[in-house]
Amino acid sequence: MHSENLLSIKNLKTHFTVGKSVVKAVDGVSFNLEAGKTFAIVGESGSGKSITALSIMGLLPNNLAQTERGEILFDNKNLIDLEENQMRKIRGNRISMIFQEPMTSLNPVYDLSYQISETIILHQKKSKEQARKIAIEMLDLVGIPEPQKRIDSYPHELSGGMRQRAMIAMALSCNPKILIADEPTTALDVTIQAQIIDLMQELQKKLGMSIIFITHDLGVVSEISDHVMVMYLGNVMEIAETSELFNNPLHSYTKSLIDIAPQISDEKREIKVLRGEIPSPTNPPSGCVFRTRCPNPSIDCKGGNIEMGLIEAKPGHWVDRCCYECNQT
Amino acid sequence: MIRVENIKKYFPIKDGFFNNKSGDVKAVENVSFEIPEGEILGLVGESGSGKSTLGRAIIRLIEPTKGNIFYKNKNITKLSDSEMRKLRKDFQIIFQDPYASLDPRKKVFDIISQGLKVHEKIDKNLMNQRVEEIIQDVGLQKEHLNRYPHEFSGGQRQRIGIARALVLNPKFIIADEPVSALDVTIQAQILNLILELKKKYSLTILFISHDLSVINQIADRVMVMYLGHIVEVANTRNLFSNPQHPYTRSLIETAPQIFRKNKKKTLLKGDIPSPINPPSGCVFRTRCPNPSIDCKGGNIEMGLIEIEPGHWVDQCCANCN
Repeated sequence: MHSENLLSIKNLKTHFTVGKSVVKAVDGVSFNLEAGKTFAIVGESGSGKSITALSIMGLLPNNLAQTERGEILFDNKNLIDLEENQMRKIRGNRISMIFQEPMTSLNPVYDLSYQISETIILHQKKSKEQARKIAIEMLDLVGIPEPQKRIDSYPHELSGGMRQRAMIAMALSCNPKILIADEPTTALDVTIQAQIIDLMQELQKKLGMSIIFITHDLGVVSEISDHVMVMYLGNVMEIAETSELFNNPLHSYTKSLIDIAPQISDEKREIKVLRGEIPSPTNPPSGCVFRTRCPNPSIDCKGGNIEMGLIEAKPGHWVDRCCYECNQT
Repeated sequence: MIRVENIKKYFPIKDGFFNNKSGDVKAVENVSFEIPEGEILGLVGESGSGKSTLGRAIIRLIEPTKGNIFYKNKNITKLSDSEMRKLRKDFQIIFQDPYASLDPRKKVFDIISQGLKVHEKIDKNLMNQRVEEIIQDVGLQKEHLNRYPHEFSGGQRQRIGIARALVLNPKFIIADEPVSALDVTIQAQILNLILELKKKYSLTILFISHDLSVINQIADRVMVMYLGHIVEVANTRNLFSNPQHPYTRSLIETAPQIFRKNKKKTLLKGDIPSPINPPSGCVFRTRCPNPSIDCKGGNIEMGLIEIEPGHWVDQCCANCN
């Protein structure tokens, strides 16, 4: 089945200048997001997942971050080249975002009615009353009980799960094409997490938006996504369809992540370990950035003589060539 | 090693000008259990279920409202502060947040040696030797002793926290969500470290976590807690292969897994109720997927019954099923 690419990112690089050093937070990321699909970005903290998302949204301060080369193609436009006022028309309207911490991402001094209506009034040119009506419908859609009453609540009156539902209502109020969800369930209890994942899948079926789902939890990835990208230290290690990635991982990092992910099983298993820690992004290893933690690096890897870059090992399954060549021989 | 009988902890809520008591937060309700020597007992539950309060109440960091705690068959509930202090070095805690639980103005050496200074009057050389030994046991180097906490990563800080807990040769450790704040690769390293050190120092551990898959990997036996009550206890294998309580079942079914065997998912409705005003009768009835009429009416009293050797489940749900 052919499906079109809604968003296409090519060689995205976002670097921060800190004093004299340059932090390569995102260093050459490329991927395609298909319409109506969920694309997961997975990695440890510091791998550049969130910065990728913020770069797409154009939410990074210009004086600190340079999103230099690369393309973010959406609607035949390169979002990197857009002026701020043009970007504002897209942000929150065509592409919107929800965040990890629903406590801090809602404004504590405004009620939900004001916060949800704000985007509707701004982007859809509705009156206050109409916007409020839409806001109530949205709250109903995300499964908040008694939306007519809840609309006048303040964030502190809601539980964590309800706040995340309100965030989702706000993000979806302008019927966006793309929803970027940055660790939306990490701060929630397991039973609530299951509710929110279920809700997002249901809403995707109803509204047909694409989702970029950022998480560190491979278990969540396997529940929700169609495609997965594994990131490490600002670089892409592997991209594949979800079941392909889990059943047939090609990169050593992906393999380790799958091996060490805690699994519920009836037998007691040995806990597997990937040694070391993610290196500092101010001074990443030369050549392949993963080589310092690689379980079986080749001599070329160790020397840092191999340049990174994705190759398509199988149709739709991309992997960093350094590890791919290593594992082939 | 540790035996707990009918422990209860209420926190009073004070209100108004005269600080009149207007209610209680019922954090822990009539909990009884034992931890045999050398066991890792997992304690799992959502936030607000009373896991951490229970952990702290066992070693009297929070005074329990009611109930008895026995350590090596000695009742420690009524011990005076000074008597308790002598016992303190046998009990240690590893905390969740390695950023908040280390004093940022102290060097690692001072953080680790603090306990030795308080509890053991030993000379400096011996103390240095002991601290150097323990820092290597947790996988760090001697050079790290002269640094401050902010110079370390999260995983390394958790190692320092573990070193601090172990330096006094404790018998009983409460590990309160020790890996929740860490990345998956670091999480695996720390879990392995805890298992290694458990063998080396012959520890007994109460391992508190909200993450069932972590509990599944590390615990010998598991207690499931909900709103202050223990709803199910069994050894790890039985609990995961044959869960009896609907809450346990739902937790297992909804835990995100890469390779899921069972595709069935029972979602629980709603949120955990407030412990100030818990449901009458069975506290789980407001979220139960199929409550009986008796449950709904709140007419059933809670209490564990043994359904197979070593496998205890709340009687309300045991009868329902």
